Amino acid sequence: MTAISVRETIPAQLTAAPPARPRLLLIGTALASAATIMLMSGLLGIYLKTRADVIATGEQWLPSGVVIPLTQPNMMAVTLVLSILIMVWAVGSIGRDDRPNTYIALGLVLVMGVAYIAQTAFLLSLMDLGAADDSKAPLIYAVIGTHLAIVGAAMLYVGVIALRTLAGNYGSKDREGVYGAALFWYVTVALYMAVWYAVYITK
Amino acid sequence: MALTETASPETRPDSDPSGADPTDSEQSSGLVSATTAAPANSIDAVLGSGDHKTIGRLWIGFGSLFLTAGIVMSLVAQLELVDLDSFAIAKDQDQLTQIWSIGRDLTLFGGIVPILVGIATFLVPLQVGAASIAFARGAAAAFWSWLVGSGILILSYIMNGGPGGGRFDYVILWILALGVVVVSLLWALICVATTVLGARATGMSLEDVPATTWGFFVFAIGSLLALPVLLAELVLAYLDTKYGFLPTQADRTVLVSIANSVNLVPAIYWIAVPALGMLVDVISVHTKRTARSHKVILAVLALYGFVAYGAEMLSFAWRGRPIAFDNALLVAATLFAVVPVILVLALAGPSLGKGRAKLTTPLVAALASGLLLLAGSLAALLGLVDPFLGFIEELSGDRIDYSFDLFGTSFHEGIRALVLGSVILAIISGIHHWAIKIFGRSLDNRVGLLATIAVAGGAVLWGAANIVAAFLDQPALPELDSAPQSGVEILNVLSVIGAGLMAIAVGLLLLNLLAAVAGRVGSSAEPWRGLTLEWATASPPIAGNFEEPPIVSSPTPLAGNSEAQL
Repeated sequence: MTAISVRETIPAQLTAAPPARPRLLLIGTALASAATIMLMSGLLGIYLKTRADVIATGEQWLPSGVVIPLTQPNMMAVTLVLSILIMVWAVGSIGRDDRPNTYIALGLVLVMGVAYIAQTAFLLSLMDLGAADDSKAPLIYAVIGTHLAIVGAAMLYVGVIALRTLAGNYGSKDREGVYGAALFWYVTVALYMAVWYAVYITK
Repeated sequence: MALTETASPETRPDSDPSGADPTDSEQSSGLVSATTAAPANSIDAVLGSGDHKTIGRLWIGFGSLFLTAGIVMSLVAQLELVDLDSFAIAKDQDQLTQIWSIGRDLTLFGGIVPILVGIATFLVPLQVGAASIAFARGAAAAFWSWLVGSGILILSYIMNGGPGGGRFDYVILWILALGVVVVSLLWALICVATTVLGARATGMSLEDVPATTWGFFVFAIGSLLALPVLLAELVLAYLDTKYGFLPTQADRTVLVSIANSVNLVPAIYWIAVPALGMLVDVISVHTKRTARSHKVILAVLALYGFVAYGAEMLSFAWRGRPIAFDNALLVAATLFAVVPVILVLALAGPSLGKGRAKLTTPLVAALASGLLLLAGSLAALLGLVDPFLGFIEELSGDRIDYSFDLFGTSFHEGIRALVLGSVILAIISGIHHWAIKIFGRSLDNRVGLLATIAVAGGAVLWGAANIVAAFLDQPALPELDSAPQSGVEILNVLSVIGAGLMAIAVGLLLLNLLAAVAGRVGSSAEPWRGLTLEWATASPPIAGNFEEPPIVSSPTPLAGNSEAQL
């Protein structure tokens, strides 16, 4: 089959349509999300393997005297699931150029993030597990602490996007920043669900 | 017929680092081109630059410097091994471990990977027809944070930290610094991968990107999936060490194994993925004949990446466990890694026979790189004998009297030397090939050929000596208190000569780069032209790379241009 030259097929007087706007922020966020998922997967993989090895020797996984209550982890899960719904509200609002609702929704997501961090701090105080008390403690803190750091990064991302939205950078014709922040937030919540099951539920 | 709507390169002005301001749409999309208000050649123009070309040059320059230092430190560690009965250079075993470890850290995370990232940062936007790299300021921040992280990494060793280190705080600092280095490299690779995915020229589908760009894309995606697992190990090592559960001196092998897992077969193949991509493009240009089956080459490179990165993730998480049938994926990866190398050489090779080849540094280095990688991959198969015999033993139920357990010996060190040699040769090939674009001048061909011969010879000596020494039970991590078998010492002398040759070669590359930047060698005339988009712009490229956004319809957009190849 003979390829046809563009010059031969498009009349000279027609100007080419502008190329589609690249969604670089969204692509970059997706790649960063993939890396974040692998980071947590690596940690959880090491956690579960170590836990299985300890249990196989007949020992208990959690050091004696350490109790993980279920109320706080479950409330944290509910908080983060709720934040997903609020993030969906933000994405929908920016699509309708409804800025007040977008600001409220992004602000609420940040409040949910703060609530999650506060609940985690409370849970850790209830667990009363000193990092230097037992060789398993650093592993537990590595998983919980890394997820906290990821939540912090996601809140920073949402905060920056909220400020940029406030400055008028995003609207119905360009929602990429809000999409990107929402994607990273969803990944953060999904990762908590893995931590919730692996650390708090299975204990 | 392929078509580009770019203006003739001859009409283009020279590169201007203080180019025009980016438009709002460019800024918001992350495609900000080279823009600083500072005058050209000032320190401000370098330190504050978001131009991917400047950032790429910085990666390459500092990477070459650290690579030289890394190989010299490896040479020092090898030198110590020559006399196995006493300490000549290091004070004790811990110091020897530190010298050995810093050599490996600097070679890989300070040298090889940053240089590859530098070539990708410079070249990928040009090859895909983009005005700049995605998230240009992010790419700049990634470089500076890597530089700071690498500096702290070296400082931690100097202050008696790192694996084998005696000062607790600086062992912790080493873990943190390595973490910063890994995060910075990931950050830079996100910029590269995003550019390939989202900033390609109109008409360029993903299967039309040049082999070099594809190799870097696979490298970036694979690293994004694999290096975070190393990061997870570092997070854990940090907490374990900080709270006293990971002894630093009493059992130095734990920290060593975390950082060293990437150096083991088959995980070490991850750095060879972009090398294979560059090899294909360089051979095509220098034989004036494009490689057959572009899409098949891309598929094979992706397969190679899949094998290497899968193995890498497993190696990180398993802290360098041996290749055995209880982790059969590593066995499969070691076995199948040979296939893509052979396929790429087979597809690129006919260009050599049917084309009009000249003995230039890029071509000779590319061919030597491919052959060395093949040799390394084939030699690595020796590591499968032990698990294979173990499998037969398990199946038959009869005990087989064999001794092929190479884990913990210098076997992996030998394969690593061959793969490192291959990648350094690919880097020499690539830098010589694109020197006119990167530095505005070609490099000295004779110095390049000398460096090529030195790397090839050095890698063969270093690699072969270590592989043979492995059968005489030489340990991977040098241990001076172990009683060596006779014959090991002469092999260690050969190994030292090999490491020395490689150090000289990398030093020659660095001198050649500096001489080109200073205008002392080479010429500003284009020595050759390729068929991919980077050859459609001036040398060095103008601010914004192209006067008009290019439109392409084939993997070789300049093929219709009779002046494409000189």
